[in-house]
Amino acid sequence: MFAYIVRRMFQSVIVLLVVGLVAFSMFRFVGDPIDNMLGQERTQADIDRLRTELGLDQPFVVQYAKFLQGAVQGNFGVSYRQGRPVSTILVERAPATLELAFVSGFLAITMGIALGVFTAIRRQGIAANVIMTVSLIGVSLPTFLIGILLIYVFSVELDLLPSFGRGETVMIGSWSTGFLTASGLKALILPAITLGLYQMTLIMRLVRSEMLEVLRADYVRFARARGLSDRVINFRHALKNTLVPVITITGLQLGSIIAFAIITETVFQWPGVGLLFINAIQFVDIPVMAAYLMLISVMFVTINLIVDLLYYAIDPRLRVDARAT
Amino acid sequence: MILRNSAVGLAMLLAGTAQAAEFKWASTTDPQTMDPHAVNSAPVLGFLNNVYEGLVRRGKDMSVEPALAISWEPIGEGDGWRFKLREDVTFHDGSGFDARDVLFSYQRASGEAADTRSWFAPVSDVVVVDDYTIDIMTTAPNPLFPSSIANWMIMDQDWTEANDAVVPDKEVGNYATINTNGTGAFKVTEREPGLKSVLEPHDGWWGEVEHNITRAEFNPIQNPATAVAALLSGDVDMINPVPIQDVARLQQSGEVDVIQGIEARVIMLGFDHEAEVLKYTDDAGKPNPFRDARVRKAVAQAVNVDAILATILRGNAEAASQLVSPSMSGYSKANAERPAYDVEAAKALLAEAGYADGFSFGLKCPNDRYLNDEAVCQAIVGMLAQIGVSAELDAMPVRNYWPELREDNYDMYLLGWSPGTFDAEHPVRFLVATLNEEKKLGSWNFGGFSNPRVDELLPAIQSELDQAKRQAMLDEVAAIIQDEQVYVPMYVQPLVWGAQSNVEVTQRPDNFFLLRWVTVN
Repeated sequence: MFAYIVRRMFQSVIVLLVVGLVAFSMFRFVGDPIDNMLGQERTQADIDRLRTELGLDQPFVVQYAKFLQGAVQGNFGVSYRQGRPVSTILVERAPATLELAFVSGFLAITMGIALGVFTAIRRQGIAANVIMTVSLIGVSLPTFLIGILLIYVFSVELDLLPSFGRGETVMIGSWSTGFLTASGLKALILPAITLGLYQMTLIMRLVRSEMLEVLRADYVRFARARGLSDRVINFRHALKNTLVPVITITGLQLGSIIAFAIITETVFQWPGVGLLFINAIQFVDIPVMAAYLMLISVMFVTINLIVDLLYYAIDPRLRVDARAT
Repeated sequence: MILRNSAVGLAMLLAGTAQAAEFKWASTTDPQTMDPHAVNSAPVLGFLNNVYEGLVRRGKDMSVEPALAISWEPIGEGDGWRFKLREDVTFHDGSGFDARDVLFSYQRASGEAADTRSWFAPVSDVVVVDDYTIDIMTTAPNPLFPSSIANWMIMDQDWTEANDAVVPDKEVGNYATINTNGTGAFKVTEREPGLKSVLEPHDGWWGEVEHNITRAEFNPIQNPATAVAALLSGDVDMINPVPIQDVARLQQSGEVDVIQGIEARVIMLGFDHEAEVLKYTDDAGKPNPFRDARVRKAVAQAVNVDAILATILRGNAEAASQLVSPSMSGYSKANAERPAYDVEAAKALLAEAGYADGFSFGLKCPNDRYLNDEAVCQAIVGMLAQIGVSAELDAMPVRNYWPELREDNYDMYLLGWSPGTFDAEHPVRFLVATLNEEKKLGSWNFGGFSNPRVDELLPAIQSELDQAKRQAMLDEVAAIIQDEQVYVPMYVQPLVWGAQSNVEVTQRPDNFFLLRWVTVN
């Protein structure tokens, strides 16, 4: 067990290092930050001076090594655009993204499971068919279009919800939360739906097909024969057995909700790390881009590591293999 | 009775107009710093013009008017300028303003680390005469100096020193990157970089208050569609810019006004004047046709600017004949005519230059810098095809574009230029003068154009005190630029803002948005 964990951790570190290396080799194709940092009346001397100060005249491997050196000490450098430490900015922006991801993840799971069960039980019903058809839209429409459509309907036409931003926030320690104010909660609705819609339809379709399978299983038929009520059969026995694959998928999707919040955040001007990353690309803010990419890859690697370890705990075959080698 | 009613009505009317209001506006870019000397860019200077002030400022029509200085006069025969300072000025933190702050701000804004350094290239010395008089000496007579420093903002020496921000720092940032202490009509009360900035009126402001704002909030909104939705839904009172394609829709909505004007920025085509050979397409390696003025003229005659304005810019811009728009000082009225669109004449010029069969070359273009820039370049490619010249378009984000131009990776390119001094001398200095690092000339003359007469006239223009003589020289330079067709000026870019119907704003050609001219009815 221990050897397995150590080996997986080692692999994770290698993955992180490679991600960083690839990222740094790409940065010079993103563009040149110098022109954004100097005004129109700059001279070639100013350009050269700033380039040297920022270390941009060095090969990317050297830049990467410098970044790593700082990163292991928790220092991600200073944003070119904001002139403030990247770590401070990330801490400021993270709550917005995490709250949004939490709410949309919650929506996706609860709504996805509820609708999935409903459409499985009432397979032939009109409502179930309507839901299934509409869910196709959720899977096939791109996020930015859904976002703009929601803004158009609910902010411009109906004037019910705000079109952008996070509303009023309250600081709890260093965590800014939008959960405690009316405007903060209202501002969450549209972005959360936009971000969670895809996951919701995914979970719904997954639950539905698993449920249909389980409902045909022998133990369900026996349960029916025993005279148990539909409610007990559907929710106590059938649903429980559908949830195993759902949990796996949900775990993996959690990472992508956070990582792919970029588009939703841009459409709604949601002040999270995704928007920060888009800004950083436009400005060629290398320290912010590097820190964000590393953070996201750490997150994915950690999630995968946990999933792997869970498999290890669940699946005895892996343990046998490990002992054999 | 009637009299009393109308008096009540009048009182209500007055109360109505004087009603205090909150105001929210949005723009695509957040000012990257609050330090007025760290970054010389329009979003920063435009925002900070609400907070800080210079010795002089620009009025609604761009004319120079007194601000922290009440008057100024030349010293001797053009040795410099003497500024008399305003006495009743306080900074936002309550401390007083005097000549020491001006000297300090000069040192700060002209230092090695300041991005505003080039404004002070003509300055040899700054001398405090008394508390409210300061002399700024120039190396040569400089008639335009007062109008060239309208964006040089004065900081409080004590505040800046106490907060350890004496040197502007754009790489790592310091106290002044986030905090402000100006003398302007508004003070920043809340600043969250990239998210929002809140401004409130400065009670001790020396000027006469024209606005009725009690609190103003600025939000950057990057996505143009979101900004338009925010305006339509009333979440913000004003946005800048409005995407050209949404103008008609907003005008029809009835609830919002579209405010249009002409920006100072002229959009033009530039050439490589130096390269021996072409660098792109199948003709790469063949002699560079753009070294021949006849070919450059042919390009100018082949581009149908009116068609570009009517279709791509939907009638929102106006054609340009020179490197500056007619509203700038020093504009050459004698050279106001631009080459007519004439395909046959263009073909004849090409044949004369020995390119009767045309040629092909590479056109570089940004796709996120100017309004609909890529579409404009695509149209130009089509227009040039009509005279048998085939252009291969390579459009890219601006963050990749400038490095390409600096490394001469183009045969022809698109450029926009907004003269920082609002004078015709500015583009000559940056775009036409022969490159000279030491004298800071020609730093944007990517194509390497060089004309001895222009180089000779430029210093004379810079120091000429007599307006008529100066204009004569500017006319001569404008004529040379046109004869040589150094660039092909096409049009002056439009400014398009959107605001709620109950809001009155003033749009200036430099695209600065000033809160002190906002009234919410």
